Order: sequence, then structure tokens, then C-alpha cells
Amino acid sequence: MKRLLIVALLLAGGAAVAQAPPAPKPTTLASRPGVTGGEALYIEHCASCHAPNGMGTGLLARRVQPPLLEARDNLPAAYVIAAARNGVGNMPAIPRGEVSDAELRQIAEYLAAGPHEVAR
Amino acid sequence: MEDDWLPPGFDAAKLTQAQRAFESALGADKVFFEGLDRGTYRDKFAVQEGTHLPAGAIGPTSVEEVQAALRVANQFRLPVWPISRGKNLGYGGSAPLVSGSVVMDLSAMKRIEFDEEFGTVLLEPGVGFYDLYDFIQANNLPYWLSTPGNSWGSVIGNALDRGVGYTPYGENTKQLCGLEVVLPTGEVVRTGMGAFSNAPTWGAYPFGFGPGWDQMFVQSNFGVVTKANMWLMPEPESLMGMDVEFDKPEDLKAMVDTIGPLRRERVLQQSPSIGNWLRAAAVATTRGEWTDKPGALDDAVIDAIRRRFGLGWWGVSLRLYGREEVNKAAYAVLERAMNAIGPMVMRPTTWVKGQPMEYSGWTGTPITFPMQNANWYGGRGGHIGFSPIIPQSGTAALAQFQRTYARYREYGMDYQGSFAFGERHLTNVNAMLFNQDDPAMMARIDPFFRQLVADAKAQGYGEYRTHLDYMNLVADSYDWGGGALGKLNQKVKDALDPNGILAPGKSGIWPKGVRP
Repeated sequence: MKRLLIVALLLAGGAAVAQAPPAPKPTTLASRPGVTGGEALYIEHCASCHAPNGMGTGLLARRVQPPLLEARDNLPAAYVIAAARNGVGNMPAIPRGEVSDAELRQIAEYLAAGPHEVAR
Repeated sequence: MEDDWLPPGFDAAKLTQAQRAFESALGADKVFFEGLDRGTYRDKFAVQEGTHLPAGAIGPTSVEEVQAALRVANQFRLPVWPISRGKNLGYGGSAPLVSGSVVMDLSAMKRIEFDEEFGTVLLEPGVGFYDLYDFIQANNLPYWLSTPGNSWGSVIGNALDRGVGYTPYGENTKQLCGLEVVLPTGEVVRTGMGAFSNAPTWGAYPFGFGPGWDQMFVQSNFGVVTKANMWLMPEPESLMGMDVEFDKPEDLKAMVDTIGPLRRERVLQQSPSIGNWLRAAAVATTRGEWTDKPGALDDAVIDAIRRRFGLGWWGVSLRLYGREEVNKAAYAVLERAMNAIGPMVMRPTTWVKGQPMEYSGWTGTPITFPMQNANWYGGRGGHIGFSPIIPQSGTAALAQFQRTYARYREYGMDYQGSFAFGERHLTNVNAMLFNQDDPAMMARIDPFFRQLVADAKAQGYGEYRTHLDYMNLVADSYDWGGGALGKLNQKVKDALDPNGILAPGKSGIWPKGVRP
């Protein structure tokens, strides 16, 4: 995972490295048809950074394993809510105009119920 | 000050009255005035703490609600700062210029109307690049986006701030084709063919009849854009190109003078961006892995990082889009031209429809990982950009690089620079990476930035886009004719926004009587 991230990141700079494995396709709702509830909200609002190849995944990989939030078994809902509303490290805070309290609660409960098979 | 976030001339009681009026107009669930809300809408990459503090936020979800919100703002003479999704990190993000402004967050306006035959799309401001990408994937549409390095944000918000992508449609503001705008006094107008009732060509012909106003609402505070048509690139049959590395700083001159004519001739239809080694390395590693010495990195460390990742001093990716036969012929031209100037490495890439594709900016894939450069120094990272427009000339580019690099070293900052091609110009994007937890570093940023603006001004180079902190500074540098353009902007502002409620200070344009 870490090697894939580093190579994908180098491709960002306008300079590619030799033997680079391809960056993965972005995770969006179309790649998980039929998902609902907290999982669907997670994909809509969080996956841009927290799916493979996202900024959040790349930065978390520098200090925790596994870096994918859906693969974690240690994310209490209250922590997810606090992290989203206050920001953590380089993660900006997420305002209520973007993700409502009710939506964030569903996302937090989804992550708290992890790890999820889809991230394995 | 504890109440620095109050609007100018307001006390807490008056702000509460305004809040109640917004709740009446929009519903309480779309009005966000708690302490937490004020925190979440602040500038995440702020250079100076305690500035640009919002009083609260509102989240209208329709054109009618935007109109209703502006009625309240006019009633209370309350400044409102519209954002699409507020993700233009490095330019202020979701924060207003004037503390005490109410952020109008349009994130929840997410309608997409897609014309599959002609590749035009009518978007609301809350539609992000990932949303539109998802729509295209879900409906199997043969179109590609033009995505910026941070694709978390709004598609039309990016175009309205003159953001760029890397495909032939990469100058995103040029893909706008007719807007719907709510003026500060509440009237709704549609531009281009949108002004003609029931015209089926709103998204097809950008000009309409008479003066064209689309660019008037770009980087401005003359209206709230609630819809915009944009053109999307048909999926090409073939994509060919090369990633090329050059070994020496001085190679920049030959790179610009070789790529520039190919771009102007339109052999190259996309807009390549020449980036230095740190642009690539800062997303893959951190400074702390290499040195703990303060000041700008020395050449020995730079060489070590370049060796680890196989990077040139400069790198550039060139791509050709369209029919395979045409691309093959053009590729031979590119290859010959680049080989003639002695690249360190050249890696060809080729794709034909049906094969696995590269998920990168060159295929219009939304990405966020380039923002990892914010972690270069560690701590709470961030960056702002200094981006003057310079001539598309190798001599000019090299001189601009040498001047700027010397300043980075003088101020003890690591240089991340790039030169992005337009058709006739270069945008010299210099990222100032920083650590908000390092007070000594943060104290250097403002004088450093002002120095770079002054250096560029001496050459006749002006910025294309800037952070909230520097909008006045940059606007003032556009000084021809005694600042005639600024005076025109002022007249338009006063005519359209008599109460001065819409985004005061945006792009250096202030309502009558309140310019600092």
C-alpha cells in the first residue's frame, strides 16, 4: 500500500518515475452501486481524501496502519465527529453547510462499525 | 479580541437579529452561527491568525433562497461572502476577507444537467469534481473532466477563480458558457443565450447578443453565480505523450523555448506545466526525513532527494489527445523536439480507448494527493501561492526563476516552483509551503510574499490570483492609467451593490466609503 501511494504521488508532480504501477481509479458512488446510509455518505463526502490515493490516506500512511479509515477497528463515532468538525493535522474542519450533523453522525457510526470488508 | 468576528458596526444583539431573519428566510437548519461554525469556516491555511473570521454561515439551497438571503443582508447592511464549496485552499478557502462577514455556503446546491450529445453541462456551485466524475461514471458518458491538483472543490467555483487543469480544456474559465447570477440587490440574470427565453443554445454559444458579461462575474463581487454551463472534452480515441526530466536549473530556458512554439502552433493542445523536483518530492516525503538544518535546502540534500526518486531538477509531462493516427504523427514531432534539447530521462506513455488508463490529471481524473505537499515541513501545514503571469519566453522564465530562487534562499524557504503554459503566456506558480506551528517561519511569509510581488512588479509581471491577504496589494499593482481599471470596477460595484453587502474587498474591489 505504502509503495503504491508513493509512486502515485510522484506522478502528481508532473514528473513520473520508472516502473510506476498505475494509480487506482477514484472511489465514488458509481464504483459501489447500491450502497446506502453512512457508507454512501462516507463515499460522497470523505472518499476524495480517504480512499486509496487520497490526500488523507497518504498522510495517515506516514503514521498509522492501516491508513484507510474503512479498514480501521479503532474509530469511535465521537472521535470521528470531533475530527471532522475540528480538523486533525492537515485535515481541514468540515462545516455543517457541507455535511450536516445528522449526516456526520451516520458517517461516524459507519466508521465506528469497522473494519469493513470493502477496504480489505 | 473575543468579538473580532462581529460584523463591522454590529453588536451581538444586532447579529442575533440578523441570524433570526436568516432563519425565517431559509429555515433554522440552514443557518450556522455557533462557535463551532465560526471555526469550521475559517481559513485552514491562514498565514496570520485572527484574521478573516466569519460571523457565521448560511446554506441556501435554491436561487430563491439566495435571493431571500441577500434581502436580509441588504436589510441589515451585513456583508455576505459566497463560496461554492470553499476548497480553494491557499487562497482563503471558505473564509471571508472581512471579519464579521457571513459565509454563504452553496455546497448543497448540487444539480447537474448533462447534454450527452453535445458535452455541455449545467452545474450548480456545490457540484464538486468528484460529483461530476461520479455522474459521468454512473451514466457511462464519453467525456473527460479538466481537474486541478486539488479536485475536492467545486467545478464552477474553480472556473470562476480561473483555476486550471491539464487537458486541452485546461483553462477552465474559458469553458464557461453562460451563467445564471443573482445580483446583490436580488435580481436574477442569465448571460449569453440564457438571456433569450427558451433558447436551446445556452450551453452552446457563449456570447449572446451585445456585451458579454461572463467574465464580469469571475474573480469578482458583482453577483452570486447560481448556475453555469461548461463544456467538457469528448473522450479521445487515443492519448500519447511523455514524461520528461531535465537535470539542470538552466535547462528551463530550452524547455520553454521548445514547448512554447509547439503550444502556440497547437501541435500541443493541452497546457503542460514544468515543475521543479520539490513539486514531485513534497507529496512523497517530508523535509524531516532529510535534514534538520534550518534555512533553504542545500544542493547536497536536493541531490540526495532527486536520486532517491529519480527526479530531474525540472520535470514536465506532455500529452496528445484525439485520433490515434494524428497523435502518432504529432508524437514524432514532440519526441524529436525534446530529444534535441538533451533530456535526462524521457518516458513515453500511450493509451488507446479500451485499454487500462492512467488515473491522473492528464485524463481529467479528480485527485487530492498533491495537497500532501502541505505536510512538507510537518506540523499544521499549509501553503499560499505567488503566481505572476510572465511572457512565454525561455529567457524571461529563467530570469524569473533565478530571481525568485534567490529570494527563497534569502528568506530560508524551500523552493517549489512551476511554469504552466497558457497559449501565449506562462503562469509562474510558486508555492510557499509552511508549518503553521513554526512562528518564526510564519513571521517570514508576509514580508517574503510582499518582496516577491515587488520583484515581479519591477519586471511588469502581475499575479493572476491571490490569497485574501494580498487582494489589495495585487489589485493596486494593476496601476496603468492611474488605476483606471480599479476605478471602473469601483463604479460597477457601486452601481450593482449600493449597500456594499456582497464580498467586500474581493479582488481589491470595495464598496463606496469602506476601502481600508
